[in-house]
Amino acid sequence: MKTVASTREAFTAAMMELAKEDPAFVLVCADSVKALRATPFQDAYPERLFDVGIAEQNSVAFAAGLASCGLVPFVGTYAGFLTMRACEQMRTFVAYPGLNVKFVGINGGLFGGEREGVTHQFFEDLGIVRSIPGFTVVVPADASQVVKATKAIAACKGPAYLRLGSGREHVVFDDKMTFELGKARILKEYGKDTAIFTNGFIIPRVLKAAEILKDQGINVTVVEVHTLKPLDTDFIIDILKQTGAAISVEDHNIIGGLGSAIAEVSTENFPAPLARVGLKDIYPISGEAEALLDFFEMGVGNIIDAVKKVMEQKKKLSR
Amino acid sequence: MTKNTITYLKEMACNLRKDVMTTVHLAGDGHPGPAMSVADIIAVLYFNFLRVDPENPRWQERDRFILSKGHSCPTVYAALARRGFFSPDLLPGLRKLGSILQGHPDMKKTPGIDMTTGSLGNGLSTGLGMAAAGRYLGLDYTTYVVMGDGELQEGIIWEAAMAAVHLKTNKLIAIIDNNNFQSGGVIDCVSGLNPILPKWEAFGWHCQEIDGHDYEQIISALQKAKAEIGRPSVILAHTVKGKGVSFMEGDNSWHKRVPTEAELKQALAELGGEVG
Repeated sequence: MKTVASTREAFTAAMMELAKEDPAFVLVCADSVKALRATPFQDAYPERLFDVGIAEQNSVAFAAGLASCGLVPFVGTYAGFLTMRACEQMRTFVAYPGLNVKFVGINGGLFGGEREGVTHQFFEDLGIVRSIPGFTVVVPADASQVVKATKAIAACKGPAYLRLGSGREHVVFDDKMTFELGKARILKEYGKDTAIFTNGFIIPRVLKAAEILKDQGINVTVVEVHTLKPLDTDFIIDILKQTGAAISVEDHNIIGGLGSAIAEVSTENFPAPLARVGLKDIYPISGEAEALLDFFEMGVGNIIDAVKKVMEQKKKLSR
Repeated sequence: MTKNTITYLKEMACNLRKDVMTTVHLAGDGHPGPAMSVADIIAVLYFNFLRVDPENPRWQERDRFILSKGHSCPTVYAALARRGFFSPDLLPGLRKLGSILQGHPDMKKTPGIDMTTGSLGNGLSTGLGMAAAGRYLGLDYTTYVVMGDGELQEGIIWEAAMAAVHLKTNKLIAIIDNNNFQSGGVIDCVSGLNPILPKWEAFGWHCQEIDGHDYEQIISALQKAKAEIGRPSVILAHTVKGKGVSFMEGDNSWHKRVPTEAELKQALAELGGEVG
């Protein structure tokens, strides 16, 4: 059974299926065809692949022009060059006028960028797109989810951002696992001691930590929040009410992403102790993915420690 | 092109200039100087070239127009009103709460605006996308993009300029309102751009250079640009900032300035003509 499958190839496979059904779907690249593993798409639909070269700002504004004429462009390139270099184009020329452009950012997180180093490791992208009004933001767990997520954002109206990785992602779910845009879901329900909110390629670590905690007598509920925006706030509040404590685990800066989103929901609706596991607002370094995540305190041990920390806080509050 | 047509177009440009002065005065805000330098070009486009339908602003086969130098929007708003996209009564509401006329062009709020602009540099890229969509969809429209000269300092313009030629883009016409000024002063004093046209030539564009206030030259250049096949076209139009009003011409303080009652009166008197 496959344990690794490429989110990049999965995206291209989904694009091929979409393109077959509807001529409105086109792909815009910034010399990112190879990186996206999109050569099959280029070969099958050469007139639908617009490569503008290493010019991300142009790629986004160009896509806005395409969308204004009724096409549905997917713009795919490195997550940081899209969301940082072309952030303003995403915001002012796509999101503000509500144009139907979909964005696909590769190298999401340390797992995505790994050996490339900081210039190609992106851990701010979700915080950035989350703070732009009008965006749908999706963080799929693995390749099979990417296929379904791509189709889901293709079907939804308006701008969307989909986070992909290096192409060397673990298989998390089998092909039968569904994907419902905007819906958080329980992955494991051992008990109500603490909730673990998580998304993306870090999920295998969370599941491992949950197993170990169970053996230690701490029974958690693992919740996947693949859609960061619009956030499934009712579901999250409900879980918080049941557990009274939570941690967030993400391959992203602890500022701006899932952890911040959970903190916002909790503070306004059901204040509960929360610990955020993620990149602690520092710059990483080059390294092999698994070692890198461990080095930057996103290991299984760190997840377990975070759960125990909020359990202590929860105990103190209930006295 | 008949002399009658040119007379008509000159009258329309005069009306647009009067509208700009009145609008900015009543709105209490706006950029009249840059709006005036481009008025003749806008008049020719909106009253002679653009295939658009005020009853159907989103007509799929229409020509596209992008005012990339979006701060000149009072002129375009006036042109849209006079072409019947919305009532001229709305013009004084420019920049006010609840107005369909935003501070910079807004494609969702104002009928007839094809792309949101104002953040300089981006219009050419969006226009390139529209031209590319036209070819892909097999539609026969032309996309016009009016840019400022200071705006050419933005890097994204050169990204689009490169890609437009590489993609062998047809039916994309860029017009540069070369009034030699930008917000901070004379362009050569802020960040030199000259020579402008050789840069576009080097990128592979079909290039023309005209007096942006001479109607025969504007019309002839647009016709030649439309006839280009296989590459995009740029027209460098030499203009005067504040053109049409003696106390504004060449005075950069009118980049963003509201005319007083007295100034408005004098401007309207100088512009004369029929308010059609």
